[in-house]
Amino acid sequence: MTTEELIAEEAEQKAAGAAAPEPGGGPGGRRDLSGNPDMIVCEGVSKWFGDFQALDEVTASVKEHEIVVVLGPSGSGKSTFIRCLNRLEEHDSGRIVIDGIEMNEDVRNLNAIRSEVGMVFQQFNLFPHLTVLNNITLGPRKVRHLPKHEADAEAMQLLERVGIPEQADKYPTQLSGGQQQRVAIARALAMNPKIMLFDEPTSALDPEMIKEVLDVMQELAESGMTMICVTHEMGFARGVADRLLFFDEGALVEEGTPEHFFDNPREERTKLFLSQIL
Amino acid sequence: MAEMPLQPPAAPPPAPAPKRVVLPPHRQRAHRPWRVRAREWAHRNLFPSPVGTAMTLGAAALIALVGAGAIWFVFFDADWEVITANRWLLFAGGYDHGEAWRLWFCMALVFALIGAAYGMWSSLGRKDHLFIALAGAFVIFLMAHGGAAPWSSIWFLVSVAALYGAYAITARLPRDDSRERQMQVRIVGALLALSLPIALMVLLIGSGTRADDLDGFVLNLVLAPVGIVGGLLVGIPLALGRNSKLRAISWTCTAYIEIIRGAPLLGWLFVALFILGDVIGGSLIVRVMVILAVFTGAYMAEYIRGGLQALPRGQNEAARAVGLTPMQATRMITLPQALRISIPPMVGQAISIWKDTTLVTVILPLRELKGNADSAIAQLEFTPDRIEAYVFVAVVFWMVSFMMSRISQRTERALGVGER
Repeated sequence: MTTEELIAEEAEQKAAGAAAPEPGGGPGGRRDLSGNPDMIVCEGVSKWFGDFQALDEVTASVKEHEIVVVLGPSGSGKSTFIRCLNRLEEHDSGRIVIDGIEMNEDVRNLNAIRSEVGMVFQQFNLFPHLTVLNNITLGPRKVRHLPKHEADAEAMQLLERVGIPEQADKYPTQLSGGQQQRVAIARALAMNPKIMLFDEPTSALDPEMIKEVLDVMQELAESGMTMICVTHEMGFARGVADRLLFFDEGALVEEGTPEHFFDNPREERTKLFLSQIL
Repeated sequence: MAEMPLQPPAAPPPAPAPKRVVLPPHRQRAHRPWRVRAREWAHRNLFPSPVGTAMTLGAAALIALVGAGAIWFVFFDADWEVITANRWLLFAGGYDHGEAWRLWFCMALVFALIGAAYGMWSSLGRKDHLFIALAGAFVIFLMAHGGAAPWSSIWFLVSVAALYGAYAITARLPRDDSRERQMQVRIVGALLALSLPIALMVLLIGSGTRADDLDGFVLNLVLAPVGIVGGLLVGIPLALGRNSKLRAISWTCTAYIEIIRGAPLLGWLFVALFILGDVIGGSLIVRVMVILAVFTGAYMAEYIRGGLQALPRGQNEAARAVGLTPMQATRMITLPQALRISIPPMVGQAISIWKDTTLVTVILPLRELKGNADSAIAQLEFTPDRIEAYVFVAVVFWMVSFMMSRISQRTERALGVGER
């Protein structure tokens, strides 16, 4: 998909979208984000693992405050795509620009990008040898060089925000899966990121814990965070996302608003995927 | 899930009636005399079936036989004079008896630090008190037997008192996240790290003994910690280096590990004796210390690398994602977890190197405990008592090995908070 097409699509969205100030306004009520600057720009991004092409010329952009949900069958490259956005994977060709910072070999750029992009993993990846509070304050203290008491105070505020301040002194393994994932979100937020990446944040959770995590994510979306979520939660995709990206075999196959995507998909592969998942 | 209907707030369930717990008969304690319970216990555990009964009786006979034999040997058959007459030889060899206070001072220092470490990070349990009491009785008997000067026994008691004193102080300190605690941890940690250099200075400076002349059990006690701590210091960078993406570094580390592990410690000790002197010079004991650290390091490196590989990849990724540099991620996230995982094999290696310190006897100028036991039974009047001498050496080595194993269990538990 070329940039022209992207712009055209945005114009379409602009035409279709009524003024809905909040995400999660439901079908028919889309926010107008077309005036916002680009937070993430990817142009022709490709990535190989050996002979296997994981990403095939992906071109996409994300506006400030936009909520983008990435869908696709397993192995379609959607995780690789968002892992490229904070360079947990190195892309082999193409360009990635995060908030105006070019992603390249320059370590200073990489550090600047990492401090702007928070990441939440499927397996939480909390540090088991640190308390919940220290999990959250580690980044602020070591990277942002906050004094301990300030970092602690910020961390407690974040724990309030994700609803588990009483767990601050416990260790991660003493918490339920949903609580652990909320701590992981708080840990990512503690770096004051402008962008949050979610890599299947609810896939490792028991069903009854999914909602508590999605609630936190929705609150985050409403607060104006720019978010990219790989998820299989179709309710979240339909209700909160501004735009959906559909990946298959490493390529960005189709993108559009949730209404377009769920009610009127264009591509055969998208239809097939939706028929299997819905 | 935006469309998910909100659950109506459920009415709180009625308070459940207290459940009557019915235990199986053998768990019911009340109203049953101990005699009945003992009979049931014996029936269940010792005589459950004809085969079980036969095994119980067989095992009991075996235990009785071995136990009786041991008691007969220790109290009636053996002549322990080979030990008591040679205790200074076995303990410190050629060390000047007039400077004995230096040894006792080091003993008190080490005991106090062990107590402080237990107080800071762990606790002394019933089994530990029992071990201290038994080992203490053993040592006191050894020291006081035959009406020797009481000073050694008094110093030993002072050392035990120092252990409990340091424990009493440190165990009372609050274990929180405060600045004071961090300070205390740093002080005790630094003292532990410096204990060996301090002890060596006390032993050597002004005592008229050169490092090469250290002798007997004291030599084992000096060499083993050097091997263990030095091995860790060598092993950590080796493990990280072998995982490095830079080929030159990882190949160098791999080559080091494979070459060192390819020859037995005895071979490397001969290197220390015949070759290393021309390469790095220094006194023999220093060369032996270097070899012990180099040798242990190769093994420690592989255990640590195993620990690093056992960690999920996400740990490093999460550390990088919150903005830590690769160095910080290793130091704060992956290495501490890897070290904890590899405690059991590393302690195995520590116990192994502890016993392997006996090998230095092969290098003639150095005589450790086992070597001096050989000297003791080489005296004409003690030649028939070689079994006594070797049993004694074995018991001493066992006591220290057992202590290490206990400390490792405690360390694992102390670091196990928030185990995955």
